[in-house]
Amino acid sequence: MDQKLIRNFCIIAHIDHGKSTLADRLIELTGAQRRNKNIDLVMDSMDLERERGITIKAKAVRLNYAVPSGEVFRLNLIDTPGHVDFSYEVSRTLVACEGAVLVIDATQGIQAQTLANIYIAMEHDLEIIPVVNKIDLPGSEPERVLEEIETVLGYKEEEVLFISAKTGEGVEQLLKTIVKKVPPPSGDPELPLRALIFDSHYDDYRGVIAYLRVVDGALNSGQKVQLMGQGTHMEVLDLGYFAPEPRTEEQLRAGEVGYIATGLKSVAECRVGDTVTLTKGGAREPLIGYDLPKPMVFAGIYPAQADEYSDLREAIEKLNLNDASLVFEPESSPILGQGFRCGFLGLLHLDIVVERLEREFSLSLVVTVPGVRFLATKTSGEVITVTSPADYPDPGEIQKVEEPWVKISIITPSNFIGALMEVVQEYEGVYKHTEYMGQFKAIDEAGQRVRLEYEMPLRSMLTSFYDYLKSRSRGYASLDHEFLGYREAKLVKLDVLVNELKVDAFSRIVPPHKAYEVGKAMVAKLKEVIPRQMFKIPVQAAVGGRIVAREDISARRKDVLSKCYGGDITRKRKLLEKQKEGKKKMRMIGRVEVPKEAFLEVMKLN
Amino acid sequence: MEQYAGNFLARSVYFGGGTPSLMSVNQVEGLLCWIKKMFTVQSDPEISFEVNPGTVDYGYLADLRRAGINRISLGAQSFRDEELKVLGRHHTSAEAMSVLDSARKAGFDNISLDLIYGIPGQSLDDWHQTLDRAIKMKPEHMSLYCLSLEEGTPLMEGINSGESPLPDPDISADQYETAENKLGQNGYCQYEISNWARKGRECRHNKVYWRHEPYLGVGMGACSYINNVRRTNVSDIFQYMAACRGPFGAAVKEEEIIEGEVKKAEAVILSLRLNEGVCFEDVYNPAGAGACQHYGQVFNELTGYGLLESDGSLIRLTRKGRLLSNEVFWRLLPD
Repeated sequence: MDQKLIRNFCIIAHIDHGKSTLADRLIELTGAQRRNKNIDLVMDSMDLERERGITIKAKAVRLNYAVPSGEVFRLNLIDTPGHVDFSYEVSRTLVACEGAVLVIDATQGIQAQTLANIYIAMEHDLEIIPVVNKIDLPGSEPERVLEEIETVLGYKEEEVLFISAKTGEGVEQLLKTIVKKVPPPSGDPELPLRALIFDSHYDDYRGVIAYLRVVDGALNSGQKVQLMGQGTHMEVLDLGYFAPEPRTEEQLRAGEVGYIATGLKSVAECRVGDTVTLTKGGAREPLIGYDLPKPMVFAGIYPAQADEYSDLREAIEKLNLNDASLVFEPESSPILGQGFRCGFLGLLHLDIVVERLEREFSLSLVVTVPGVRFLATKTSGEVITVTSPADYPDPGEIQKVEEPWVKISIITPSNFIGALMEVVQEYEGVYKHTEYMGQFKAIDEAGQRVRLEYEMPLRSMLTSFYDYLKSRSRGYASLDHEFLGYREAKLVKLDVLVNELKVDAFSRIVPPHKAYEVGKAMVAKLKEVIPRQMFKIPVQAAVGGRIVAREDISARRKDVLSKCYGGDITRKRKLLEKQKEGKKKMRMIGRVEVPKEAFLEVMKLN
Repeated sequence: MEQYAGNFLARSVYFGGGTPSLMSVNQVEGLLCWIKKMFTVQSDPEISFEVNPGTVDYGYLADLRRAGINRISLGAQSFRDEELKVLGRHHTSAEAMSVLDSARKAGFDNISLDLIYGIPGQSLDDWHQTLDRAIKMKPEHMSLYCLSLEEGTPLMEGINSGESPLPDPDISADQYETAENKLGQNGYCQYEISNWARKGRECRHNKVYWRHEPYLGVGMGACSYINNVRRTNVSDIFQYMAACRGPFGAAVKEEEIIEGEVKKAEAVILSLRLNEGVCFEDVYNPAGAGACQHYGQVFNELTGYGLLESDGSLIRLTRKGRLLSNEVFWRLLPD
């Protein structure tokens, strides 16, 4: 096909702003698929994606769009993950496009994460088509949102489209605008092959399937190719595109988007952002610097039942074939047994991994408190990285500790500024900047929308910060963050002792001024969730050797079946059998029996 | 039924569970007559009869005595009217005292009182009061039960709705220990977790259960344990009556063979309920060496916790162990 007739674009939108619905409508309008009876959203293929209303893996769909003059354009819609945890994937997806449809909810306005993605798109010179969606809803405020778009992004009213992806209103116009405004791909079909991998997944039968955008040259089925960044060699077993179901092709040419089946065993061998070229007569320069997304958040994952360890290992290894950004290494804890210390791109990534492990592999898991990676310089000069509080050096051994900081951006109606500033400061945020987004007075009296910029330790963000942010702004505030770098930190390790025994799984790294508060909350929770036993149990929180909080679980004095006559014996024995079964499920801290739920409660405590 | 006749020596008879005083004395006499015809009955048997205050008068009791009943078990529950109300009992403490008086006058020299502690709102002082009043009545025997709260009962609904306070287990423990002290000081000897008696007045009938000896239960919901089989009858009266017309055993709802490890465990658990404790040699035969070893470990652990004590041949619950006896018992169950 003539390169001039190709348009590669993606949709940038906040969660629930209607990206998947719009994608469906585009697919339907271009005839790639009839309108489904059910509201099947084609591009979200995992159950989990649908349920969470987010898109984890990018996919690409080819649409044929005939304009009135008779020309048929080929539109490649590339889906992007909307969440900041996957910003690396987003950036690579954007590189594969020439244009982006920016979808903003007419009832909500620009959200922090959307803004971050727009900036990436601008950086890569994408043609952005701003679209205000959901104009059919009664609570929509298109004028206010338009004003935000004008003020914050600098677009003029005539450049903005107003649509309802749900009813289809304005979507035809959007298709026309895409054809008109998004430039055709500019690659050279005569140059040696260069294709950008913007997504991949593992298929049990065909190995890794890589989604790619051919920039220069052409890619043929059966060709021997290599990855310029990783150096992986492979053969193109099969290639094609999605419409939206897969269609096999002989060739993908410059400007086209499609997939290749590689036969590779793991997505780790074929990472997003790498450039595919021919093994013989390949290109010299890759398309873009290729990077490995770095895990930012760490947590221990343990099987709830110790005998499920090997099942867990198998499950993590299998999941890893499909999710190269998940890192893991074996770890063991005296109480939780054998498990893994895992690294994630962020909290959402963690949630997704845990949920997939539990759902797809029927496992029941214990997940420890998420933390960050600390850099500790010991007095000996040695620098170590610490991802588990258990490995945190003793205070006397530490020369200095550094921790990751992030820049956060909060978009909120101005009425909540005061409350939110308090929240952020409480979570160690450092104020940087305020920006007003338009002058339009909102209908709901919540005030004009404002973007606040702070810097804060990533550690603080992993706690209840987001929940507070949401509750203090009645759900209005949206949050985005971006990694800044490591900064020196003043932190202590808070240990918890149950019956004089230190429990690694409960240790936390906290700023010294929070040690008392956090310690008090933890011992109070433990007192609540550990059942009374035959002896008194002291529960203490300590920093170094200093006890900062203590509660005693008094001994249980009475556990007796007072009536036991002829007719009661079987029933009473069954009660005792049940009690015995219950005891088997307990985890032991020394001789203290602790129900698994108690662990979860304390881990969840922020 | 006939198949048991003659094979067993009946040492005691117990009319209870439900409200036996709904029967006429003639019916009671008829039953006793039938029992004597069917079974070999030991001379001077213990024949108990459960009575609830407010349901019987002196004449009835005197007739019972004449019919051969020689022990009365009185469901007094409490000697504080507000507690009786909380328990949903329809009698007053005055009525309970008067029944006891009447029973004495009717010639009963073996009377037992049931009392309940752990009642919502019942303080330690309240319990002292009930105990003092009970002791003053000089019953030969007392059974003290901790109130067990069961879902679906009006009492539990009251607690769930916040109308009644949830009983504090520590207060219940204090109440139990108070009773141990007080009854001990007043000449009552504890012989089972929930039972106290004047010397020689232990309930012979109930000791059969704790010694894992055979018993025959007759009536709806009644339970028998004969030749290592425990059988429970249907609890519905119409079903029961229909079954009585059918073949023997038709009234049995559940049947369980008690053997092997379970039998051993039951025997030890039930014996441990008794203050006399359990004798090692009685429980283990040489073939049970494995279980013996397991028990040895458990006994050591529990002795370490202060729940069990031993004088070499007998093992028994300690004072602390009685209140925490479930901690002892579940450990004795087979895996």
